[in-house]
Amino acid sequence: MSAYPSNLWSIPLLVVIPIIVAVVVNFIYNRSRLIKIISIVSAVCLALIASLSSYGYHWFTGQPALRPETLTFTFDPGFPAWRLALEFYFGPLQQVMIFVMSLILIFVVAVASSGLTKRQGPYMSMIFLLFASAAIIIMVNDLYHLWIAVEIGSLVVAGVVVGSGTSVSHKAALKYTFFSALSGAGLAIALALILGLTGYSNISDAIRYLQSVNLGEMSIILYVAFAFFVLSWIYAGGLAPIHPLKSEVYGASFPHGTAMLQTQSKLMLVAIGIVMLQIFGMLPFVREVMLAISIITMMLGVVMALIQTDFRWILAYLIVSHSGLVTVGISLGTTEGLVGGIFQAVNDVIYMTVLLLCCEALYYFGGKTSTRNSLGLAKRAPWLGMAVILGTMAASGIPPFNGFQSELILIQASLKAGLPEVAAVILMVSVTTFIALFRAVYRLFLKPPETSEPVAEVKVPRSLYIGLWVFVALTLIIGVYPNIVVSFITPVAQAVSIPWYL
Amino acid sequence: MDPSELRGKRGIIAVIALLIICVGLMSSLEKLAGNVSPGISRIYNILAYLVAPNNIATWVYDWRGFDTLIETAVIYVGAVASALVIGRGVVQMKHYSEEAPATSPPLEYRTESLTVILKYLGLPAAILLLSYGIMVVTASSTSGGGGFQCGVIMTSAYLLAAIFYGKDNPIKFGKRFLIGIGAVGLGGYTLLGLPGFLTSGYWQYNVGADIWSLVSPTLHSIFGDPFRLSLYLQEGVFYSTPGIIPLINIAEAFNVVGAIGLIYFAFLYGWSEPPEDQEKGGK
Repeated sequence: MSAYPSNLWSIPLLVVIPIIVAVVVNFIYNRSRLIKIISIVSAVCLALIASLSSYGYHWFTGQPALRPETLTFTFDPGFPAWRLALEFYFGPLQQVMIFVMSLILIFVVAVASSGLTKRQGPYMSMIFLLFASAAIIIMVNDLYHLWIAVEIGSLVVAGVVVGSGTSVSHKAALKYTFFSALSGAGLAIALALILGLTGYSNISDAIRYLQSVNLGEMSIILYVAFAFFVLSWIYAGGLAPIHPLKSEVYGASFPHGTAMLQTQSKLMLVAIGIVMLQIFGMLPFVREVMLAISIITMMLGVVMALIQTDFRWILAYLIVSHSGLVTVGISLGTTEGLVGGIFQAVNDVIYMTVLLLCCEALYYFGGKTSTRNSLGLAKRAPWLGMAVILGTMAASGIPPFNGFQSELILIQASLKAGLPEVAAVILMVSVTTFIALFRAVYRLFLKPPETSEPVAEVKVPRSLYIGLWVFVALTLIIGVYPNIVVSFITPVAQAVSIPWYL
Repeated sequence: MDPSELRGKRGIIAVIALLIICVGLMSSLEKLAGNVSPGISRIYNILAYLVAPNNIATWVYDWRGFDTLIETAVIYVGAVASALVIGRGVVQMKHYSEEAPATSPPLEYRTESLTVILKYLGLPAAILLLSYGIMVVTASSTSGGGGFQCGVIMTSAYLLAAIFYGKDNPIKFGKRFLIGIGAVGLGGYTLLGLPGFLTSGYWQYNVGADIWSLVSPTLHSIFGDPFRLSLYLQEGVFYSTPGIIPLINIAEAFNVVGAIGLIYFAFLYGWSEPPEDQEKGGK
């Protein structure tokens, strides 16, 4: 008997609740107070479910698995058996990722409902569907469903971006949607090839089948499937060479929307990256291809961030660059690399949320985000000034913040894998992040304004400040006690790691 | 895109990339020809007769019913995203606006040029299409039809009537009505998973078909008996029920009517909202 059930209660709720909320808030359309209550309560429920749930599987539609040796059906996931049902898994990694995402969701919906005009139903609907798509991708153990979730995720990203209602956001969404068609088709081809080769859309079953047969000449199919899978991975995470599209998406959305978009994107990168390692890990050149893409993304993102003159766009390119930090760890494929990559993803979404909420606060002070302005906001809003500086330190990997811990693990993992040049690039990204961010922080927050115009009283929503300080506290707590996250990640990293360097 | 952009290095790179993709894909398909592994399909096919007589309906709404729910949500997302695109500026920040709302005007209609025949045949044709849509969804578990087809047919009727009659469309699907229909559809489909979840622990377990005997006979009857079918074969008479599949199909139809109808509505009639401070006869 398996210790894990095949009908864990929490899994469907983590997917179904956001879908139902999306439908309801879209239906009530302009009743902003009701939308606010429903959204915040639901987001809190999702966080509670993720934190209180035990671990296990959920076999949607309640179909059992067939044990090949006895030809009997079983509902026990402990046996090696072919799954008839669509399988989701909720373990320690899923728990930490979904909990962090739901925490971000709470403050994103709180900030959005306070800051937006009344007709926010469709936009809020998109935010919840974004959560649902990411939750599915994190938990699903099925290739076909993974494809559908990536498809809906791409479309929802476009919805969140167009929700910002500017011509720039429309252009960004249109471009992104156009490329999503190519990427979605690519993933569909990849899964069709794997399905044709193995006959199983369940990822574990497909891997088990691949391990049990000698593919011989048929292994070319796996190479082609890998190529198409990489295309989808690049697209989902906005890795090079798609990075300009994703940066536009981040820069053109409301900052709170970007907080949710970058969370979805980074957690998708982790989930799809792990699937790629599991299916294609033993093919030659896989590590090299994944590493090359990651390093190019890191470097291009950070260089582009350096030349930006708008805080929003600096953050947009840094988010892309730091996606490369996440994938570099996963691409290393070793236990340490995976721990570093996944830990980086969790840390990254937290400190970037701090910076994005600070950027959102700028809208209340007149909406000037260009670094050509000297606003001296630290004097007008000292708590905000302090939060943005602490967020910058966390993003730059300065101790004792969380970014330092994950970047340290990544550097150690690269050195252990015999790749000191990768460690050097990580270090460079860290330093350059500090330069790019601090330049903007100095101009917008620290440098006194050039004109001494009288300033109007500004009321920033309390939810924004609470969110800021919750996430600043998290960067510090995780930085001092990294094991509270690493302990959740390590078992998964050990299970899927590939000892390439041996 | 200007084709001239593909000249030079870019064009060469694009052609080489396409060639590599084509060669890789073709060689993979050639290797797969005749060697496709049936895998799990064999087991699905063995079990399929226990649920709906239409094997595809069983695959789509039972074995892979949750996949279909998320696919259904894709259509819903498309509709909401279209509304946000056409109604640009519907959502704005309270204290800051980068750009003024720029809602698209509705398309212009010139219905005066319609011939008398078309003018008078338009409405009956639309009514026939609506009826056909209803017929398709009610026979979904026994035929190759279903909720999606029904939705597409019914929204075709709406589009046809809009083309014939413009703003005086006799099928009066308003914005809020379509949003409501879509909500009933997607919400209904999602919540049809609840009976199975509450009784067997498995979301969207087909409590009406109950082929694994996980629920009480009463619940099995409630969801199964209304759709029970008798199959008269040479080997004898067989009874089966598609259980919740017909209900899912109806919900799917609602969702598709709401979603595709909303897309048509937004593109045909535009999506504009009065300023919020004027909404209730305010300032």
